[in-house]
Amino acid sequence: MSMIRSAIREISLNLHSKPGARFITLLMVALAFIVFDTFLIISWNLQGIMDQEENLVGMEVFLERHVSTAQGRLIGDNISIMQDVKSVYFVSSQEAEALFRAELPGRAGLLDVMGSDFTLPASLQIVFQAEAINQGRISELSRQIGAMAGVDNTVYGEDYLPGLIKTVTTIRRLVLLLGIVLVSSISLVVFYTVRLSVVRRSLTVDIMRIVGAPWWFIRIPFVVEGIFMGVTGSAGGLAMAAVISKVLSSAVTHRFMPMWWMILVILLGAVTGVVGALAGSYEKER
Amino acid sequence: MLVTMENVRLSYGRWPALDKIDVEIKQGEFLVISGPSGAGKTTLLRLIWMGDIPDSGIVEVTGFRSDRIRKRELPKLRRKIGIVFQDFRLLHSRTIFDNVALPLQVTGTGKRVIQKRVISLLARMGLSHRRNAFPHELSGGEQQRVAIARAMVAHPVILLADEPTGNLDPEVSREVVELLLEINRGGTTVVMATHDPRQVPAGKGRFLFLEKGVLRGADRWTELDEES
Ligand SMILES: Nc1ncnc2c1ncn2[C@@H]1O[C@H](COP(=O)(O)OP(=O)(O)OP(=O)(O)O)[C@@H](O)[C@H]1O
Ligand SMILES: [Mg+2]
Repeated sequence: MSMIRSAIREISLNLHSKPGARFITLLMVALAFIVFDTFLIISWNLQGIMDQEENLVGMEVFLERHVSTAQGRLIGDNISIMQDVKSVYFVSSQEAEALFRAELPGRAGLLDVMGSDFTLPASLQIVFQAEAINQGRISELSRQIGAMAGVDNTVYGEDYLPGLIKTVTTIRRLVLLLGIVLVSSISLVVFYTVRLSVVRRSLTVDIMRIVGAPWWFIRIPFVVEGIFMGVTGSAGGLAMAAVISKVLSSAVTHRFMPMWWMILVILLGAVTGVVGALAGSYEKER
Repeated sequence: MLVTMENVRLSYGRWPALDKIDVEIKQGEFLVISGPSGAGKTTLLRLIWMGDIPDSGIVEVTGFRSDRIRKRELPKLRRKIGIVFQDFRLLHSRTIFDNVALPLQVTGTGKRVIQKRVISLLARMGLSHRRNAFPHELSGGEQQRVAIARAMVAHPVILLADEPTGNLDPEVSREVVELLLEINRGGTTVVMATHDPRQVPAGKGRFLFLEKGVLRGADRWTELDEES
């Protein structure tokens, strides 16, 4: 029992020693983590953008002018039961005009110039199952839908789409690769920084050894220190990244990373901290 | 026999630091190991506290054998051994009291026992008034006495002193050697490594001489006599 009490005392003595050196170490860890956090925020936002882009894999089907609202909806129903179609939304002539005015207020004058006889055609906005879609399938669907009675023509990003899917996949792979590289380099930075700060106290380890302290007793202060440095360093990095994100939020609209990512970041700090601390105290073998 | 070394060899890299070492140390002895710098004195002491394990041959210390001892048994061995170094190796951020108390704290000795033993030991060393000071506030001789107190506080069966007077002037050196002799009179086996065997008066101990990792002393000669 008093063994545990004196181990706790060792832990607290260790945490109170060399505050200057510890601060530098913490700063190093935090700075390394800011780089990582920035990457995470960027890739999280990229993720959002790419999800949105993928949802936009769709088609606009313009209906012939004589098609009534009821007929238009019927065509929509027929399309919605086709394979790989996720959703169909009917946009009436009036709605199209309202949308046009809302989305392109600068051009609203155009409609007025065209006179009251002019109406925008009613259309169907189709969204496909993103994962099932490829260029071949989309042009096949375009042909089928184009042949339906009441359909004037179909519009989809014939040039843009295949490129988009490919780009999204490439970006995903690049982000993953960069992520792996960053996680390993962050781990190494934390590992070596913490290890160094422990090795600097090898005299303490030496003395503990020769007076017959058990292994766990020698290591536990360093383990706690590793956790402390890893957690405070990564949390500090997150806090600083949050401040930077806040400052930049008016210039660049973006989201901060989700909670569970932050938890993973702190865990990464804790684990690499402990491993570094243990490696530092193992330096002396016997 | 407290310590037995049988045909021990230890190399750091290519050249053996120690070779063909046969030593036996009896309970209650005062053994002086001398020899020039690099002769292997420190290495020999390291073999006793098993900071190193021989490449060949066997070291046996108070029943622990170098070829059988497991890593987690090493602390048990070290609790039977007190070690003093030339550079004192005190913890600079802790008081004299805490430095001396360390071997007891790491084995979970009760607070009251620690208090009693450390205070009485410091008193015997003439250092009780300095117990709340820090090592850097003490003279070299005082620091070495603190180190000796730390080595003795857990009642070891053997005290290893590696060049304990190396950093001290002659007057203080004499006091330290006198202290070691007194400890030995109390029944503790003492092994002292020094490059200057004249520090210990002849007749007060057994002298071994190391040169280039090989023993040129009584033990070695006796063995050669027996062989011939
Ligand atoms: N950790 C080590 N790595 C490599 N070589 C070592 C190591 N420790 C000691 N040696 C070598 O082993 C030999 C014996 O060294 P040791 O320290 O035992 O000598 P010593 O008699 O204690 O010398 P000194 O009087 O200078 O303290 C020397 O040649 C030394 O260079
Ligand atoms: Mg030496």
